[in-house]
Amino acid sequence: MKIEYPKYHYDIVKSLLDGKFILFPGKLYKTVLEGENKEFYTDFFKESFDYELIVETEYLYLISDNTDEKTSRDIMTFISILSYEIDKEGKNFFDELNSSFFNLERINQYFDNSHSWHEIIKASKQISSPESRKSLIYNTMLKRNIIERIGDNFQFTKAHKVFLNFALELTKIDDKVKSTYPQQSL
Amino acid sequence: MIKAEPKTILSFIHQHYDLLKELFLAQSKNNTIDYEFLNNEIEKCGVEIKNQLFEYQIIKNINDEYQITDVYYNLFEFILQQFKPLLPEEIEKYVQSITNLFIKIKEDIGKDKNILIERIDSLTNEIDKFLSQVKNNTSSLLVKSRDLKANIDNIDYQEKIHKASFWIEYYIIPLNNIIDIHNSESIYNILLIISEYTNEKRLNFHDENIRLKFERLYNRLKQALIDIRQQSEILVNELIPLIERIKTENLILKGMHHYLSKGLWYKKNSPQKELLQKFRDNVLSNDFELSTKEYFEQFQLEENVFINDENHSFEDWIFDKFKYKERMVESLPIQNFFEWIMTEIKSENADFNTSQYFTMVSLLFEKDINIEYQKQYEKVIIEKDNTELTIPVLKITKDED
Repeated sequence: MKIEYPKYHYDIVKSLLDGKFILFPGKLYKTVLEGENKEFYTDFFKESFDYELIVETEYLYLISDNTDEKTSRDIMTFISILSYEIDKEGKNFFDELNSSFFNLERINQYFDNSHSWHEIIKASKQISSPESRKSLIYNTMLKRNIIERIGDNFQFTKAHKVFLNFALELTKIDDKVKSTYPQQSL
Repeated sequence: MIKAEPKTILSFIHQHYDLLKELFLAQSKNNTIDYEFLNNEIEKCGVEIKNQLFEYQIIKNINDEYQITDVYYNLFEFILQQFKPLLPEEIEKYVQSITNLFIKIKEDIGKDKNILIERIDSLTNEIDKFLSQVKNNTSSLLVKSRDLKANIDNIDYQEKIHKASFWIEYYIIPLNNIIDIHNSESIYNILLIISEYTNEKRLNFHDENIRLKFERLYNRLKQALIDIRQQSEILVNELIPLIERIKTENLILKGMHHYLSKGLWYKKNSPQKELLQKFRDNVLSNDFELSTKEYFEQFQLEENVFINDENHSFEDWIFDKFKYKERMVESLPIQNFFEWIMTEIKSENADFNTSQYFTMVSLLFEKDINIEYQKQYEKVIIEKDNTELTIPVLKITKDED
């Protein structure tokens, strides 16, 4: 039986299995959304790996039920603290994440001066020092297409919205989540 | 009764505009102006003008506080374009009065001419007032929403969610219900019915004066319907999305606060479905053969060194490459290369050492053979050196090419 695979099949599968976001309007994104390809890839990843393909209007990605995975938690913690500090500064975090340029100096200022989340920053290896933050941004997040590097600056791609949507979801299940961790003060 | 000349009052307002503006802003914020604030502001301007403020009826006493009188308050609202949003209930009263006047006009259309004219004029005025209130409200709600978005008052996200929800629930949605062109009971549809009736009467009513009055009302209604559509569009396309976005943004911050403060960042079983971690490539590499060679090469001596000890009690074993290669080729196919080497070397030299063993392994580098990896490993023990090696099972066949 000869199966006809969509164009860029290898790149699509490799990117997604590497934990990357595929972004609109790239050729990989367009290919996945062409004709019946969306259904094909949804089934393909479900049947082959038991992963769920999530298709949004600006990006697509895979998720699994693997609770050992730490990267998304690190990124969520990073973006949450960053948003909080931007808001504290009196700026609109939503607009800043969507279109502003960041650099390591600015990021370090937010994290080094964050009194509210000092304990969490200290306890999270991936964001506790300027070096670890640099690695999280320019290795982990860059490789996964969550940021785009522009010279010495970087910008968040639309993929960062996954983490904002997750935060929004949390408010809906607020009551269901039973905490065992001590509360932080603002 | 005001004794002063109108020009004197207007000149006073012009001269003390800054003070009056401050009083207006204070009242907009707190509904009243407190005693101390008024005295401080008067003191700042350096002239005692309190008496004139009362004489021209610009302010009035309310218990121990003051208030700008309605007419001046409205004037300042208008010239500063800072309207306080009205509750929809305050706007809805115009809907009621417009409806009542229309019913009366219809019921008494053949009766007294003068009351009919009065009612048509009143209806026109009520429609004007209603439109003016709707426009002012939409514009002030837009200003307030934009201020909230820019966080001019520097309030926290919880307060922002509260304010955004408040504006939506008590002001924007009810106002939209009043003017919504798709709602059959909205003012838009009431005005449409009045417009149809008025259109008919302006053409065929027997009295010319009244026809002209209906003509004027009809023209006002035409403009009113256009204005309401515009205001409804501002509400639906701009104001509601803007305020919903403010609400959403701040709900996101609330969720992030929840994530950080309730330890979800730390807990193993967070409710989040996980993004896929980098896929680990466990497929067998096609360069295993080269890797195996490299592995053994590190044990290979660059040169064979033979030491003749005259006193040794065993026979020297010298690796005769040609002999062993010939034997290997004769034995092909060999199912397990390392096992075969072990047998060969033992048959000649039972007391072999690791170095001798690896010398034999160098047969792998000979041409004319194919090596196949069997996907399993086994252990080899060389007793003389107390060496234990883990080696792959390799099948050797003749190279037909």
